[in-house]
Amino acid sequence: MVPGVRYGTRLQDGVVRFTFDGRTYEGRQGDTAASALLANGVVWFGRSVKSRRLRGVMTAGPEEPCALLTVGEYPNVVPNVPATECVLHDGMVLRSQNRWPSLEFDFASLLQWGGGLFTAGFYYKTFFLPGWRAFEPLIRRLAGLGMAPGPAAADSAANRPPLEEHVTCDLLVVGAGPAGLAAARVAARNGLQVVVVEREPAIGGETEFEESVIDSQAAHHWLKAAIASAAARIRQGSRNPRRVPRPEPGSVRVLLQTTAVAIASDSVVAYRERNEPTNFRIHARQVLNAVGAQEQPLVFVGNDLPGVQMLGGAERFAALYGWVPKEPVVLFGNHDRLYASALRLRGQGARVVAIVDTRPFNANSDHLRDEAGADEWRRAACSLLQAVGVECLTGSTVRVACGGRRLRSVEVVAIAGTADTREIRCGSLLMSGGWLPRRALPVGTIVGAAAGCLDLAAAVASGHAGGVAVLQQTGLLAAVAEISATPLATGDPSPRVEPYLRSPCATHEEKRQYLDLQNDVTVADLRVAIAEGFTHIEHAKRYTTLGIGTDQGRWGGHVGAAILADLQGLPSATASTSKDRPPLASVSLQAIAGWRVGDSFRLVRRTPLHDWHVAHGGNPEPMGLWFRPRFYAANGKDAASAAMVEAGRVRQIGGIADCSTLGKLEIAGPDAAAFLDEVYLSRPSTLAVGRSRYAVQLREDGIVLDDGLVLRLAEDRFLATTSSGHGLHVLSHLEHHRAHRASLRVSVADVTDCWAVIAVAGRASADALRTLLGRDPQELSPMAFWDWSGPLQGVGVAGQGGQRLRVLRAGFSGELSFELHCSPALALPLWEALQVGGLEPYGLDALDILRVEKGYLTTSEITGQVTPLDLGMEAMVAKAGPSLGLKLLQRPAFHEPQRPRLVGLRAVDGRSSFLAGAQLTVGPKDRVPMGYVTSSVFSAQLGETVALAFAARDVAPLGARLCARDPLRGRDVQVRVVAPVHFDPAGERLRGRY
Amino acid sequence: MACPFCGLRPLEEFLFRKTVPNVVTGSGNGAAAGTDVTDSASAYAQVYLRVDSAERSVEEWQHVAGCRAWLLVDRNPSTGVVRSVALLGGTQ
Repeated sequence: MVPGVRYGTRLQDGVVRFTFDGRTYEGRQGDTAASALLANGVVWFGRSVKSRRLRGVMTAGPEEPCALLTVGEYPNVVPNVPATECVLHDGMVLRSQNRWPSLEFDFASLLQWGGGLFTAGFYYKTFFLPGWRAFEPLIRRLAGLGMAPGPAAADSAANRPPLEEHVTCDLLVVGAGPAGLAAARVAARNGLQVVVVEREPAIGGETEFEESVIDSQAAHHWLKAAIASAAARIRQGSRNPRRVPRPEPGSVRVLLQTTAVAIASDSVVAYRERNEPTNFRIHARQVLNAVGAQEQPLVFVGNDLPGVQMLGGAERFAALYGWVPKEPVVLFGNHDRLYASALRLRGQGARVVAIVDTRPFNANSDHLRDEAGADEWRRAACSLLQAVGVECLTGSTVRVACGGRRLRSVEVVAIAGTADTREIRCGSLLMSGGWLPRRALPVGTIVGAAAGCLDLAAAVASGHAGGVAVLQQTGLLAAVAEISATPLATGDPSPRVEPYLRSPCATHEEKRQYLDLQNDVTVADLRVAIAEGFTHIEHAKRYTTLGIGTDQGRWGGHVGAAILADLQGLPSATASTSKDRPPLASVSLQAIAGWRVGDSFRLVRRTPLHDWHVAHGGNPEPMGLWFRPRFYAANGKDAASAAMVEAGRVRQIGGIADCSTLGKLEIAGPDAAAFLDEVYLSRPSTLAVGRSRYAVQLREDGIVLDDGLVLRLAEDRFLATTSSGHGLHVLSHLEHHRAHRASLRVSVADVTDCWAVIAVAGRASADALRTLLGRDPQELSPMAFWDWSGPLQGVGVAGQGGQRLRVLRAGFSGELSFELHCSPALALPLWEALQVGGLEPYGLDALDILRVEKGYLTTSEITGQVTPLDLGMEAMVAKAGPSLGLKLLQRPAFHEPQRPRLVGLRAVDGRSSFLAGAQLTVGPKDRVPMGYVTSSVFSAQLGETVALAFAARDVAPLGARLCARDPLRGRDVQVRVVAPVHFDPAGERLRGRY
Repeated sequence: MACPFCGLRPLEEFLFRKTVPNVVTGSGNGAAAGTDVTDSASAYAQVYLRVDSAERSVEEWQHVAGCRAWLLVDRNPSTGVVRSVALLGGTQ
C-alpha cells in the first residue's frame, strides 16, 4: 500500500475537484461527497435544523440524517442531498445547510445558550401572543432545510422529463444482496425472466465489505456468477435455434442505481437518477422483497456529536472508499458483529482501542442461552483482540460521549453492579444497536435480512427458498430437473443481538439523548409529549417532530417508538411504530411528475381552425381539453375592449365564431327516438326529419346535466350537441342508460371530431350564406337544417370526396344566425370565404356578452346544482316524456318557495357594475345571502351591466330590489330583478326582422 | 381489472360510477339493478339508498379509456379483490 493513497472497491483512478462551502477539495472518481470530505479530514457537514448543533456524517447510506448538502449553483440547486448519496463529479459545488454566516460560527446557535430552549411544542407555546403571524417571518428565516431551486432554464436537465420504460418479467427481485441474488439465480436457471432492482451502483449488499464464502467461492464472485450463468443460457439458446431449449431460457436483468419507490395498481415503480433519469414501471408476475435491514442506533448522552457514527456505515467507508478514522476508535454495540468488525477495521488501519458490548458473559438472558457455545466464540474473539491491545468491556455501556464541537472521549459504565466510570479517550465512536427490517416498500414476499435473516447463510438460504417457492407457484419446478441445492454460505456469525434501549442517565441529561438528529428530538421531548397526553407514537411523532425530516426517522424512529413505550412502563417489544413510508431514498419531484408536465400534462384538443386563430391573434385559452380563442388582438388592446368591439359588430353587422368544440353525439337505430325521449326532456321523438330542437337532459336525481340541440337526421338517426366541456360526460351518460336499456336497438357514437362548427350570426349572415350557397338560407325556418350538397362559391363542392356540410338555422347570439356543421377539411375554406363575405370573427368573450344579453345558459348557470324548474323550464318539463330524472324532480325541496331561480339583474341606478360571484341579499345589512350572480357583462347595446343570477323566488319577484354584495372585489350595488332575456325579448332579430 | 372484452387492463382505464343499491345479497344481475325510469316507487332508493358492506360491493364501472363498456363489478372493498366483472345489463 502506498501511504496516503486510499484503496476502496468503489474508487477509480482519476481525481475530481469540488468545492464545499467555498473551499476546494480533491476526491477520487467514484467517491461520494461524504467519503471524500472525510478523507480530507472534514468533521463538520452541517447543523441541525432546530438547535443548530454541529453535525458530522452518521451513516453511509440514504438514511443519513445529518450530512445534508445543497448541491449546485442557484438557480440550479438541489437541497437536502445526503452527502453519503452524492457521487462526486468534477467541478461540483457543495454547501452545508442551516448555518449563518458560516458552518463554524452560526448566529442562531447562540440562541441555544439559554439551554433547552427548543423543547417539543416550543413554538406553539411561546409565540401565540399577539399571534403566530407576528413571529413567522423571523422563524421562517431561521428554519427551513437548504435553499430552494430557482426557476430553471427551459433547456436545463431539471426541466427534462425522465424517460419512462415499461418492463415485464416473471419475477421482480427488489435488492441485489445475497438473498435477492440467490433467489434470482435459482429462478433464472429454471427459465424465469428475472429483473433485479438495486439502489447501489454495485451488487452484493453487505458482502461488499464482509469476508464471506458461498459454495466455496468468495461471495462476490459467486453472486456475479449467479447472474452471468443465467445470461449464458440465453446466448446458448439463441445460437442454436434448432436445438429446442428446455426449459425456456431464463434471464437476469440487473438495474443498478435504481430505487423501487412506489407500488402502482399493476406494477412497481422504480426510479434511476443517474445517467439518463428513467422511471421504470415493472410489471412482474411475482415480487420478492429483499431490501435488507436497517442498522439501529444506540441512545446515550451526546450521541449526536461529530465523531459518533454507525458501525455499518464506517465499514462501508473503509471497504468501499478506503477511509478509516485517524483517531482512536471505540466500538459500541449489543451483538457479536462488533468483534468481526473490529478485526476488519484494524486490518484497514484503524486504531481500535476498545469494544463496549452491552451483553455480559454468561448472561441469564433466554435470548443468549439458546445458542450453546456461542459465548465461547465471543470469549475467544475477546482474548484475540485483547492480545493486540483492544480492550473488551462486556456488560458495559457508553453513558456519555464527551466533547464540545466533536468527540473527545467516552464515559463507559458497567450496566450492573459497581458504579465505576471509565473514561476512554477517542475521536471516533462506532455504534450498532442491531438491525430492523426495512419496511417502507410493502410489496412481495419478504426474504433475507428484511425477513430477519441477519447472517449470510440464513439470508442466502432464505432467498433461495423464496426463488424455489416462486418456481413452484408458476408450476415450473416440476418440469425442471436442475434445481441446484441450497447454496452453502459462511460469513460473519449470527450477530445474536440482545436488545438494548438506552444508557442510564439523569433526567436533565435526557435532552442530549438524541432520537432524531435532523429535528433535534430527544428523550426529554418524548417525556414532554407523554405529559401533554400524546402517548401514541403517531401523535408523539407529530408533536415532537420525531421522524418528520427528510430521513423520515429511518435512523432513530423505531428506537424512539420503543423508548416512548418504555417511558410509559409498557414493554418496548410490543411498541407500535409509526408507519414507514416509501421511498427509501429521496426522489425528486421531477421523477414523480414524470413526463406529465407542461404540454404533456394532459391531452390537448384543437379545433380545425386552431392554427388560424393563433396566426391571427386569437388568444386560444383552455376550456376543458380544448383551446378556444377568447378575443382577437386586432379588435382591442385588452380582452374587455376587444370583446366589446366584437360583440357590437355582431349586433350591427354580423360575425363568425368557431364553435367546433361543441360535443356531437350520433344516436342511431330503430329505437333511437324512444331512447332519446328517455334521456331528454323535450321529446325528440316528435321532431320531423330535417328539424332540430333545444333539449335538456337530467341526471337521475333531477338535476340538469347538460343542454344542447337535437337534430333529426333521419327517422332512425339523430345528432345531439352538448356543451363544449361536457361531451365525454354526456357520452358516458348516454352509454350508461343504453346499457340499462339493453332491449332498445340503439347505438351511441361520439362524432365530435368529425364535424367542425362555424356559427354565422347577424343581419349580414343571410347575404354571406346566399353568396356561398347560391340559395337564400332564410328559406330555412328556425331550427331547420339542410344537408347541403352542391357547389360552394369560392370553396368547392360539398357532398363530393366525403366533404360534408350541414346548414342549421340556429344560434347562440339572439341574431338571425346559422350554424355550419362541416367536415374538418372544409372548415378553413368556409371560414375564409365567410370573411370575404364581410363577416369578422368573434371570440369567446364576445359570445359570452351576446348570450348573457339574451339570457342563454352555459355552465355558469348549469352548475350541477340546478333543476329545470330553477331555470324556468316548467313548460318543457310538463311536455316531457318518460324522462330520466323526472321522478326525483318531484321531491318537495325542489319546489320550496325559497329555492333560487334564474333571474336577470340590472343595477337600480342603471350605471353601476357588479360581478359574477356577488352574493344577493334582500336588505343591505342582511347577513345570509339568498342568491348569487352567475354571469355579468357590460352590454354596449343597453348601455349598462346586465347579469344572470339565481335568487330565492319568494323574495325576488320581477321588479324586486336586492343588494349585490361583493366585499372583496367591489362594493355593494342595489339591483333590481328583471326577466333573464335582457335584449330583444320578443326575438324579432332571431326571425330576421331587423 | 378484467374487462369482458379487453381482458386484464390497468385500473386507470376504468371509471367508477356508483355502488349499485340493495344488491348486496342479489344475483348481481345488472338488469334487475338497473335504472327503470318508469318505476317511481324505486327511483329514490335507486339513487340514494345502498347497503355499505365491508365484504361485498356491487358497483357500476365504465371502461372509459378502452372499449367503453359499462360493467357490473362485484368486489370486496376490504381487500380490493374483484369477485366478478360482468357486462351491465347483460348484453350491449
